[in-house]
Amino acid sequence: MPARPVRDLPRHRNLFRMIFAPTVWAVHFLLAYATTAIWCAKVGGDVARLAWIVTGYTVLAEALIVWFAVAMWRQWDYMDDFDYVHDGDTDEDRREFLGHAGFMLACLSFVAVIFTALPAWLIGTCA
Amino acid sequence: MRGATVGHVAAVLAGAGLAASCGGPQSALAPAGSDAATLSHLFYVLLAGAVVLWLAMNGLMLWVWRIDPRPMSPKRARLLIFAGGIVFPTCVLSALLVWGLSIMPDQRAPGEGLRVEVTGEQWWFRVHYWPEGATEPIRSANEIVLPVGARSEITLKADQVIHSFWLPSLAGKTDMIPGRVTRMSMEPTEPGEFRGQCAEFCGDSHAWMAFTAKTMTPEAFDAWLAAEAGPAAPPEGELAEAGRQAFLAQGCGGCHAIRGTPARGRVGPDLTHLASRLSLAAGALPMTEAALARWIANPAAVKPGAKMPAYDHLAPDTIRAMAAYLKGLE
Repeated sequence: MPARPVRDLPRHRNLFRMIFAPTVWAVHFLLAYATTAIWCAKVGGDVARLAWIVTGYTVLAEALIVWFAVAMWRQWDYMDDFDYVHDGDTDEDRREFLGHAGFMLACLSFVAVIFTALPAWLIGTCA
Repeated sequence: MRGATVGHVAAVLAGAGLAASCGGPQSALAPAGSDAATLSHLFYVLLAGAVVLWLAMNGLMLWVWRIDPRPMSPKRARLLIFAGGIVFPTCVLSALLVWGLSIMPDQRAPGEGLRVEVTGEQWWFRVHYWPEGATEPIRSANEIVLPVGARSEITLKADQVIHSFWLPSLAGKTDMIPGRVTRMSMEPTEPGEFRGQCAEFCGDSHAWMAFTAKTMTPEAFDAWLAAEAGPAAPPEGELAEAGRQAFLAQGCGGCHAIRGTPARGRVGPDLTHLASRLSLAAGALPMTEAALARWIANPAAVKPGAKMPAYDHLAPDTIRAMAAYLKGLE
């Protein structure tokens, strides 16, 4: 009888970890735009407070993304063998591939979240 | 030889086309307003940056493929791709985004004093001037007149379908949406005559939906606005008087208004000072008696789908008289 796996979804199979950061980006985008739309339709005027709300979303989103970028960097495990070749058929290759991809997606999401928030800081008007 | 001649002609034509697009009454690259100047500056900076990048990229390719083709260590190649393909574009795009966004608020700065309300119709522009403190607008059509050195507020509306208001010499474009009021503002910096047009497809004669614009010194503008608010000039001469009578007899006043006469319709453009405008039928025709006669006889022949009915059942003399009357409405 095979040994019972330690985890239900071991890291070399877990795609959800890889898309976590882009998901945070998507949720941040949705929240920032929905809040702005509602704010400008119902409150208007004082955009400074809106900018603070979007800043709050952004700090939270970036913290989650950095946290996951670190986790994915560890999963990539680059520093042990400086290995960025992932086309082997071992669990390690798959795990490090997912870590590498997840790390790059986290970097992309980090920049994208800043781009999403920039209008709230720079435009300063609902018009 | 023949190929070379064709090549020369093509080059000259292309050059002329490019040069023509940089000037004239409807060019974002020949700004006469502060907003357009900002956009033009943005364009030239982006163009210069693109030229530098293009030369650098092609120079780099020339260097590694032709001038000094040497194998590169995979580590160095990866570093080059990382720095040149990821870090550098991210920094450039971030800088451009920050710059572009920081420019945007000024593009919609609130106007002061005069407000001009422009409504997009099929296919012409209804124009109402609201000087500060006015309770009734000064009605006009198909021409925007603005004072130089002041930021005027532009309120935009639309009837039936979406249009877009674009006067590239003065500012960027803004959509006109039925049921909504959008706004922009313009700050002309030079007196002149310009051309704008509808920049959103709006039906059969979208391509014929243009307008003219004049910018003038504040003193000249005040004088112009006072004249525009006044009633129409009475007809001069027998022909024009006959034209006036025909205009009223044919029921033109059901749709058009000419202040100071019984014509009070508001369906079509206000004609009170029609002849003072630079063009006829929203930029479709020149402001001449011949063009007026042609328009009255059959508007849809000039602008497909135009709602004004044809009057080609009238005697040519009657149409000519109406044209003479309208041409006198300065």
